[in-house]
Amino acid sequence: MSSIRFERISRTFRVGGQLVPALADIDLHVDEREFVAIVGPSGCGKTTLLRMAAGLDHPTSGRVLVGGRPVTGPGPDRAVVFQQFALFPWKTIRDNIGFGLKCTGVSRAQREPIVERYLKVMGLDGHGDAYPHQLSGGMQQRVALARSYALEPEVLLMDEPFGALDAQTRIDMQEELIRLSRVHPRTVLFITHSVDEAVYLADRVVAMDRRPGRVREIMDIAQIRRSEKWGELPVEEVMDLESFNHLRTRIWRLLRRGDGEASGHGVVDNPPLRTQPAQKTKLRRAQ
Amino acid sequence: MLRQETRVPVWLPGTLSVASCIGLWVVATTFEFVGPARLPGPKDLWESFEQLMDPGYAGGTLPQQVWFSVRLVLAGFAVAIVTGVPLGILMGMSRRAEALINPAFLVIRPIPPLAWIPLAILWFGLGNGAKIFVIWFGAFVPALINTYTGVRSVDPGLIAAARVHGARPWHVLFEVVVPGALPLIFTGLRLALQASWTALVAAELVGAFYGLGRVLMTAARDIYPGMIAAAMICVALLGASMTYLLGLAEAKATPWRNR
Repeated sequence: MSSIRFERISRTFRVGGQLVPALADIDLHVDEREFVAIVGPSGCGKTTLLRMAAGLDHPTSGRVLVGGRPVTGPGPDRAVVFQQFALFPWKTIRDNIGFGLKCTGVSRAQREPIVERYLKVMGLDGHGDAYPHQLSGGMQQRVALARSYALEPEVLLMDEPFGALDAQTRIDMQEELIRLSRVHPRTVLFITHSVDEAVYLADRVVAMDRRPGRVREIMDIAQIRRSEKWGELPVEEVMDLESFNHLRTRIWRLLRRGDGEASGHGVVDNPPLRTQPAQKTKLRRAQ
Repeated sequence: MLRQETRVPVWLPGTLSVASCIGLWVVATTFEFVGPARLPGPKDLWESFEQLMDPGYAGGTLPQQVWFSVRLVLAGFAVAIVTGVPLGILMGMSRRAEALINPAFLVIRPIPPLAWIPLAILWFGLGNGAKIFVIWFGAFVPALINTYTGVRSVDPGLIAAARVHGARPWHVLFEVVVPGALPLIFTGLRLALQASWTALVAAELVGAFYGLGRVLMTAARDIYPGMIAAAMICVALLGASMTYLLGLAEAKATPWRNR
């Protein structure tokens, strides 16, 4: 039992004495072991939605259920992978990966083999005793993934996890995630503003509008993904498929129309793919 | 191109600057550019140390005086750590604690530690209690402020990351908040240690039966420049070596910053 269910969610923020609706009337569910990606422009409230599932934020009205139970706060059954990695700078890679296990009361002796396994799975052999700042951005995000996976949570929440990586590393990580999802299937809610990423990874893609955030359309691509065996192909081949491009263009059109920018023509010839600059953001350290 | 080609050992410039200060002093006193009544020469200094070591001065020998002062500094500093650091953490983590403690702290904080001396003597007499109290106050303020700032500067994203991976409040405290604040806590401790020595010497100047401050005071009364300089050098060396030890402890406690 590990579905996620958003029931008639609304969220208003108070900004300078004014109430600003961030999310309005969201009904959304992620089935058990389903991979759902949410795409939408900045400010559409997609991250707020994820934080609600994580228990880090709460709806103004409506409720969030995970595994049938209302979410009241954060818990290790719903690990989050953050865009800025959020690794603990003072812990070695090994201790970062084992952090959740330590918190949930797994003894050191029992943690060790699990941590070693994830070091290997994530291609981090030989870096166990390093500190996060000694690794590249891609490797740091692998550590963050390992930290979440090591808990073997029923639900994984990913908040633009590859948004801070360079294009090349990003593609590698997407393939990595596909591989992981095959070996360890989980219920995944994945936030991104890369349409390509969403279509490549997800069973269903949710397109959102902004101000207030609403669900615009939900596209089911699990069927195509399975029948064309996307999961077994490298990224660039999937992205060359007609079906992929068709879906991608459809979502782009949706998002643009929602924004009221593209008028009439509809077709987006050259959607800005991965225009995000590679930004390596270092965790702020107290000095 | 902006590139440093020189291969000067890191210790060399510092050694040179200290050595030239000493050289200047030796020259100035040997040729009496400055008279011995104002600045003691190497020979005066040596004799003062001899006197301090052997028969003793101002009621005790040098090791006794040093031990007496160091003990007071360590006591005041230790009390400042065990009060200032936890209180700073509490204020940093709890809005309610901050609202409760901060106003009182803001009022007390501008009082210089030395201004407490008369009251401390009234409360504790001329014994160690008054001195430990004054040292404590001097060290407590920087320890608390820096700990508080350190806790507030911990990335909230890391606290969220801890919580979504199953951290309970005490995990958040000991695995995230304290290590995150540690660099600033150590900054606070360094300032606190410095303040401890300042407060100690001042407290001993005002009234003490032993200690380096007492040596200083007696030497001033005796118009004995060599002895004044000897006591000052002792304070300098002790303060510097304790700061050095604190630096070692810091390196040990924050290994992630050394790589």
